[in-house]
Amino acid sequence: MTVSVAAKFRNKVRAPKYLLAIPAIIWYLVFFAAPIAFIVLYSFGTKDTTKLLPVDLSNLSSNSYSSVFDETFFKVFKATLRISIVATAMCVVIGLPVAYFAAFKVPEKWKAIILAAVVVPSFTSFLIRTVAWRIPLAPNGTLSKWLVETGYIGSNGIQILETATAVQIAIVYNYLGFMILPLFVALDRIDVRMREASKDLGAGRIATFFGVTLPLAGPGIIAGVLLTFIPMCGDYVTATVLGGAKGNMIGSMIASQFSGAQNWPLGSAMAILMIGAVLSTLIIGAAIFWVLPRIAVLASPLVQQIRRKIYEHAANQARSEKLQTRVKREVLSKLLAIWTVLVLVFLFVPILLVILHSFNAGSSFTIWSGSTSIKWWGELFDGAETFGVLIRFAILIGIGVLAQNYAKRRPNVARSLKTWLATGAFVVALVVNGLITNWYRTIFDFAGIGDAIRNSFIAAFGATIIAVIIGGMSGVALARRPGGWTKFFMATVFLILVTPEIMDAIALVTWFPRIKDVPLVGTIFSTGWGPFNGGINKLWVGQSLYASAVVTLIVRARLAGLDESLEEAAGDLGAPPARTFRQITLPLIASAMVAGGLLSFALCLDNAVISTLISEAGSTTFPVALLGATKSTIKPFWGVGAVLLFAVTLGALWFLAVLLRRGGDSASKIAATFTGS
Amino acid sequence: MSNEKKQLKMLAPEGFREKLSRRAFLQGGTAVAGFALIAVACGSSDGDSAEGGEASGEGLATGDWSRVINQSSGTLAMYTWGDYNDPDLVGELAASTLNVTMKVDYYASNEDLITKLATSGGSSGFDIVVPTGPYIPQMIEKGLIQKLDKSLIPNMANVDQNYLAQAWDPTNEYSVCKDWGTVGYLYDSTKISKEMTNWQDFLDVCMGEASGNCAVIDGAPNYCGPWFWANGIDWNTEKPEDLDACEKFLVDEFAQHIKAFDSYPSAKIAEGAFSIAMAWNGDARQAYTRIEEAGGNPDDWKWVLGAPETELWMDNYCIAAGAPNAEAANAWINWDLIPEVSIKDLSYHGYHTGMKNMSTLISEVAPDLTRADMIFFGNEQVSTMRTQVITPALDRLIDILNKSKAKAGG
Repeated sequence: MTVSVAAKFRNKVRAPKYLLAIPAIIWYLVFFAAPIAFIVLYSFGTKDTTKLLPVDLSNLSSNSYSSVFDETFFKVFKATLRISIVATAMCVVIGLPVAYFAAFKVPEKWKAIILAAVVVPSFTSFLIRTVAWRIPLAPNGTLSKWLVETGYIGSNGIQILETATAVQIAIVYNYLGFMILPLFVALDRIDVRMREASKDLGAGRIATFFGVTLPLAGPGIIAGVLLTFIPMCGDYVTATVLGGAKGNMIGSMIASQFSGAQNWPLGSAMAILMIGAVLSTLIIGAAIFWVLPRIAVLASPLVQQIRRKIYEHAANQARSEKLQTRVKREVLSKLLAIWTVLVLVFLFVPILLVILHSFNAGSSFTIWSGSTSIKWWGELFDGAETFGVLIRFAILIGIGVLAQNYAKRRPNVARSLKTWLATGAFVVALVVNGLITNWYRTIFDFAGIGDAIRNSFIAAFGATIIAVIIGGMSGVALARRPGGWTKFFMATVFLILVTPEIMDAIALVTWFPRIKDVPLVGTIFSTGWGPFNGGINKLWVGQSLYASAVVTLIVRARLAGLDESLEEAAGDLGAPPARTFRQITLPLIASAMVAGGLLSFALCLDNAVISTLISEAGSTTFPVALLGATKSTIKPFWGVGAVLLFAVTLGALWFLAVLLRRGGDSASKIAATFTGS
Repeated sequence: MSNEKKQLKMLAPEGFREKLSRRAFLQGGTAVAGFALIAVACGSSDGDSAEGGEASGEGLATGDWSRVINQSSGTLAMYTWGDYNDPDLVGELAASTLNVTMKVDYYASNEDLITKLATSGGSSGFDIVVPTGPYIPQMIEKGLIQKLDKSLIPNMANVDQNYLAQAWDPTNEYSVCKDWGTVGYLYDSTKISKEMTNWQDFLDVCMGEASGNCAVIDGAPNYCGPWFWANGIDWNTEKPEDLDACEKFLVDEFAQHIKAFDSYPSAKIAEGAFSIAMAWNGDARQAYTRIEEAGGNPDDWKWVLGAPETELWMDNYCIAAGAPNAEAANAWINWDLIPEVSIKDLSYHGYHTGMKNMSTLISEVAPDLTRADMIFFGNEQVSTMRTQVITPALDRLIDILNKSKAKAGG
């Protein structure tokens, strides 16, 4: 490396290396480290319901830990880990063929379609999809009755609801998309020549898969496992909605300690031990992954001998039945295609049921009354307001798109303007139109769901902005200014990623009342900030933690792939650091920030666990309200709300995909962007 | 313990007379006249009684009723139990009659409510909350609820004296009865052959014929109650030996048979998830409608009121401390106490709303109310119902529920 003028210049500036990460460091200290520290403290306290915060810290003991290790509670721990490990493994087994098929067996256009089909269900409300599983699984449901009539099952019908099996099915369903995408991205990046070389060297298809494809897909599998296993461990929605008493998971048990039982010490101890359990499972998993290839290497003479045998056998066969191999390959492709179709059907059935049941004439969402009705939708399209809003929206975005097209044809317009004009129009349509006409309220002014949908967007939007800013800055700092601080910071980021949501939730919910009296910071969270009430502010904080960690990693990965020469060149040309950052670094990481922002937005929009615990009257989001409704009977209008939310999210996604497409990205690249790889 | 027994009787009509003298101040024409004056002072053109009747969409009941409507404005946030009001009353009608926009969120237990209010430190943003009676004293003590403005709730005069001045709030400074109910169970007579009448039957069947197919209510005292009642023990007992025996039975023997801890099983009953389920009387009543909708035969299901003893609970409207719109909260509570509005609510959720002269009111306003026997109970039945008392033993009960949940998930 040549020591450039820029580097010298940079050394002259006495700013610490972690300068750009400072916002993130402060954020994590105040809203992650300190609250979690209190959880650790609570776990040694004793329950005291006479206090406002029902925990007595005057005499500390480790009693709560010994209660967790009590046989009864420990059973739930084991069950949770079992369900999560099995579900993760099933996700790999189910998802790998789909990813393989999409990556190697179909033309580019179909790749995009398959990937879109995998992604789209993830953008429907997580909760309503889970609730929807009650429909086909109900013992009195249509499917069950049919199976009984045809004699496939006994007269009791399907007996899966309220068991661990129901949780297992739904959890695989809920997280499958998060497994398929990273797998696809990893497989898709494999150079086809590697596979060809392997075949040229005589390896059969199976040997190529296990010897070349799978090891190269390793990072994708690891990413997929992390993206699915950790949230599964902390998932309390699925178990609460479908599990009954038998499918109990630790997440719901911890949540009930904090609310129902008001036993914060026990809940804290459980949460801490849970992080321990998640970490040690990951370490064991990593160890296995580390050991296995080495065993394979040790056994390599043997393996090679076997491979040679297989090759000779295959070669002999190939010589005699070349045609048959071809047929076989086609059979394999067909099987993969059938499997992919089945998986996609599996992914879409609950969503179709949600749409169908929003037309249910009965009074309960999950129980089909036998006849359809548009009364739940009628409330939405009552009066011309909704249509008016839709038209206004279409006009504003249309103008944006036209302007963008126009700008494209003129050479002297800045490139960024060309790219972002339509997006800008979308945002303007959303925000300005909303502020002026307050249509969010009017359009969604039915059955109390409207406010919830609006709050969901405000909360997710704010949290995403925070995540993109602090995550983007610390990502740049990590990639460009590594130093002693990097290790600590990365450890924190990793800790945030592995901390189950439920723990963040309880940490924050007990933290806010503590900082209530702190001037400035406290007031923001009790009386609100500007037009946003205190509850929304809390949601921003809660949802931004995980999201910002994700953005950090994405931005860091993006910059790590580009060497610093561009920035150095800018410095050599005399640009001050701020300008270099604005004109060079920022455009370089823009796509990573968009990707991180999208992923954050989707995660935040669906956030139920943190939001339920910290939301207030003015900040109830859609998942929170729905989770509340699951405690009694869910009305069909929740289906309408979910479809509406789905439509808006899908619109935004489609819009972004079009933008990326305009930028010349291929389907695979867009997928990579969406998964942040 | 004798205290609670007395308190129970207050709810039985015979208690009416003894209480009368104590609460004379709330009674009679003077009080009502006073409230009428206030209504005039409020000066709203909609504040006359005829409007109140029309708003509820029913004919007016005869008799001495207060129907004051106070207009208000703004948003009103209610934090309540699941599906606990007629959607019209917390939606369109509240908007058209009181000019308030309502939003409603739900909680699953009194502890959930207390945690939410306590952790938000008075800025929860909720106006109306609906705690169960025995939890009110600790909520007052922790400063989680504020006093009602009784001058804005003249319609409190419509509430039967039996349901006012309860032990938890003797002067109704903080609370007014929303409704009260009891607990029992529903079972599918096509799957369970035994003719069931009491809690012992419930426990036996859950551990026998309906093992792995039964649901219990997800609340510590309510879950433990059936064992105490079946064994003739006061469910508010603090004796360690009783609690130990309860834990031994419920955790070690009973829990493994439970399919779900579910406080509102009605929809899941219709889905066919359970063959027997413990349920609040109102939810059990709603189950019949849902079973019918799901294409099942409602007559297959039998309702059994818990015996020999069972619970009596009363949920109360309160106003959260720091409520952003306390005025609207008072106005809404007052409106919900108009007899016709109250009966509309009652027809929806199926719990006794505590209006005076209830039987006349029902016969005039809602004569075609179905399954009224699951809403209204005779003196004899009411005399077997017991209210909960918060004692230090509650921690033990919560512990029992927790352990049972862990045990059930095997």
